[in-house]
Amino acid sequence: MAKSTIYAGLEIGTHKICVVVGEAKRDGAIKILGVGQAPSRGVRKGEIVDFEKVQTCVNDALVRAEDRSDVMIRNVFLGVTGAHIESLNNRGRHRLPDEQTEIGEDDVEEAKEIARSVSIPQSNVFLHSVTRQYIVDGQEAVRQPIGREGRVLEADYHIIHGVRGRVQNAIRCVREIPLEVEDVVFNPVAAAQVVLTREAKMQGALMIDFGAGTCDYVLYEDGMITASGCVPLGGDHITNDVSMALQIPNGRAERLKVEEGSVLYDEVPEGEMLSIEDDTGLILGEIERAFLNEVMNLRTKEILTQVRVRVEDHLGRLGAGIYLTGGVSMMKGVDVVAREVFGIKVTRAGSAPVSGITATFENPQYSAPIGLIRYAQILDSEKPFLSPLKRLGRRMQELLSSITL
Amino acid sequence: MVEYDRSQSPEGASTAAPRICIVGVGGAGSNVVDRITLDRIVDATLVCAHTDVRVLGHSMAPVKIQLGAELMKGIGAGGDPDLGREAALFSRDQIRHAIENHDIIFISAGLGGGTGSGAAPVIAEIAKNTGALVLVVATMPFSFEGRRRLAQAEEALELLQKRADALVLFENNRMGELILPKDGIQKAFNQADQLIAQSLRAISTITTTPGLVKLGLDDLTSALANANGRCLFGFGEARGQNRGAEALKKALKSPLIDSGRLLHQTKNLLVHVAGGESLTLVEVEGVMKQLGRHVPDQTHILFGLGVDAKLGDAVAVTLISSLGLNQLNAHATAAPPSEMLQPRAEAMAPMPAPAIPAPAPKREVPAKKAPSPYAPPVESTPDLLFKSAEFNAVPAVGEAFPLTSLHLEAAAPVQTRELPVALAEEEEPPAFEETPAQVIAATPETAHIPVRTPAAKELADAARNGSKESTLAAVVARSVTLQTEATPAQDDLISFDEQHESTTISATAVLARKSTAESQQTFSLGEEDRGRFKDTEPSIVQGEDLDVPTWMRLKKKLRR
Repeated sequence: MAKSTIYAGLEIGTHKICVVVGEAKRDGAIKILGVGQAPSRGVRKGEIVDFEKVQTCVNDALVRAEDRSDVMIRNVFLGVTGAHIESLNNRGRHRLPDEQTEIGEDDVEEAKEIARSVSIPQSNVFLHSVTRQYIVDGQEAVRQPIGREGRVLEADYHIIHGVRGRVQNAIRCVREIPLEVEDVVFNPVAAAQVVLTREAKMQGALMIDFGAGTCDYVLYEDGMITASGCVPLGGDHITNDVSMALQIPNGRAERLKVEEGSVLYDEVPEGEMLSIEDDTGLILGEIERAFLNEVMNLRTKEILTQVRVRVEDHLGRLGAGIYLTGGVSMMKGVDVVAREVFGIKVTRAGSAPVSGITATFENPQYSAPIGLIRYAQILDSEKPFLSPLKRLGRRMQELLSSITL
Repeated sequence: MVEYDRSQSPEGASTAAPRICIVGVGGAGSNVVDRITLDRIVDATLVCAHTDVRVLGHSMAPVKIQLGAELMKGIGAGGDPDLGREAALFSRDQIRHAIENHDIIFISAGLGGGTGSGAAPVIAEIAKNTGALVLVVATMPFSFEGRRRLAQAEEALELLQKRADALVLFENNRMGELILPKDGIQKAFNQADQLIAQSLRAISTITTTPGLVKLGLDDLTSALANANGRCLFGFGEARGQNRGAEALKKALKSPLIDSGRLLHQTKNLLVHVAGGESLTLVEVEGVMKQLGRHVPDQTHILFGLGVDAKLGDAVAVTLISSLGLNQLNAHATAAPPSEMLQPRAEAMAPMPAPAIPAPAPKREVPAKKAPSPYAPPVESTPDLLFKSAEFNAVPAVGEAFPLTSLHLEAAAPVQTRELPVALAEEEEPPAFEETPAQVIAATPETAHIPVRTPAAKELADAARNGSKESTLAAVVARSVTLQTEATPAQDDLISFDEQHESTTISATAVLARKSTAESQQTFSLGEEDRGRFKDTEPSIVQGEDLDVPTWMRLKKKLRR
């Protein structure tokens, strides 16, 4: 039996589709074996609108990833996002039976069940329910309640849910490729696993994954996930603003944004001009650099303000500040604007160091797909370790019980 | 509430098993009876009554009554309760013949349609006249079936409530929660029928089978005693290890109880635990203890315990209670007040909290409450559907004349009652519809006066001078040069504005207009240019479509 497991993460982004193959070692280290990437078509605001186009693109990315990593990919962890995904915190309160004073495993299960039975809209489905903490008789931040003395046990849960149909569509799209979806993960949750360090989570941090279609965020407080969500605005909106302001095609606007654009315009000398070329390289006209930057600045500020509005209540408790990741975080000056909007320390970050292709992990574009590998690893480590023999035994047991039922 | 006249019941009836009759009225009712016939779960006389012969032909019930054979000629009532009532009156002899000599009569009907809502009250009255205990199991229509059917159902419900000893009401809206959304409609209806059949069986077995701790009809009626109440019913059966807990869990899972949450408000709760010979006291104690967590301390728990060899090694838990409609709706919109499941508002993320689904249609409440100011004169008159004296005097069904006059009499009070409901209906929707209409109507008046504040003018001026005081103004100035078609319009507005200012409008008036103009802006969203996002779902925050370029929206704001 191998001592390490190989996982594949698939992120269907608005700008690019990315497959990352990684090897998770027993000691917790991750080695990236290969990355396959293809430009994305048929995705708007993080959600799939054109199945066929997306499938072609996923296939491209998949072939590249398999080529580089020399691994055959059958199962993937799928990252999803979209405006429909929401989150909430809920507490389940469980009173121990009168004659019992010590908290047992059953009581924890009961409290968990009560916490998880929160009413979400009928069309929605749970994506994640993460235990934040346990509270025993009002004493907060208990990690391990089993064996403690107490009367009332509360389980504090962070629940992320999204519209069933939309999540299912993403899964179906991938299944038709055909790839088996092992688990569906909300993108920022995955990205936070590699962008935020344990210390940052403990001090309190807000991670913003500023992508092309959406701006996803996760907020940690005292090491616990407190808020998460998605603002359906992103880099594409910046490009669209530029293209409409300058009346140039979208592709040209995108290039202009990436090559020349910045969100700082105060320091740009007055009258500095930029020439706009068309596809054949002919010069179409000139624009003021300050104008381009201002258009981008207004939009960026607005998107970040939208994030701010959603996490307003927790901003005072973020010791580690804000971590910006995702493609747009590479834009010039975005950290300055984020600082203006939030008023706290802003760090631009990619994934934390992992071994493997070194050029990859530093790029903030790959935070989410690498995060998927890490997420998969964490998920597996939480399962009790079973020796291969026991695993076989359990499988047999499952098989037998399914026959008898 | 029970008007069970013991003097009328034959001697020795208390020792023998009570004779039960189940009548299914209309389409929904006959489906339930079919289900019971197929499952052979209750030892009872099963009667199916319908106006439509085709449905009757398919019915599995041993006794079938065609309502109003001469009148309807075997065709359904077509959603008209008056026709259904008339048909039942035609066939009342047949009905009486079928259901008399029973101790308990269950009437199952789907309210809202013609036969169900029209005939069920008539049958209930006949049943009451035979001296039996009458229990009605009715379903309310889906909210998508429209207000009219709902009104018809409410009306029939009121008639039934006066005649039945106990009323068990199921909301079809809640039935939707019984199954997964992807399941077929057939399964949905099957499940609903099954649940109703289950409740019928449970009620009849609880009240009839001898038990260690016996539950009587009085317990049942006190559990269901709740004016205009909806029934909370849960049934669970399990076997194997931990069967008590499993059975309770299943019972609590019933959508009619909303995973036990609705139990926090009940005053009376009937619990019946039944099992085979192997049922132990520890198991019963465990079930009751576990249930205690879902029920507040002051609730009156009516506990029953039975040993039934038929159950074998299974344990069955039945929960029956009722909750007033107001409480039910209050629960659906607000969080449970009980301390047991308190969602912490302060711990929630600041995003819009997901609306708690309100399964019971809220608009029922005004429709229900509205008739009360109008109703008293109607209700004070004894609204018998037919007079028992006449009933006895007219033996033959074929004599048309007295019957039609009878029908007129019967219809009269009902029609007067319909009026207030209709009034209430008319009164209510305009209140909703007028609000946008008023706003739209109001806006043209204000719209032709371009709303100007001095501040906006200053900004516009600043924009023209190209001063870099305000970044917003600077963007406006630049974008104006790009979108040339906007410039003349703006000039025009500003010149108008100067005239307007000379007329010295008071500051308050300007402010008031500004607010109307702001609300107007939300209506003109569709025409804005969203570029490449034009065919995607709009991202609207506080009335602004965020897909429209930021600079474009800011310019709009400045112009105002």
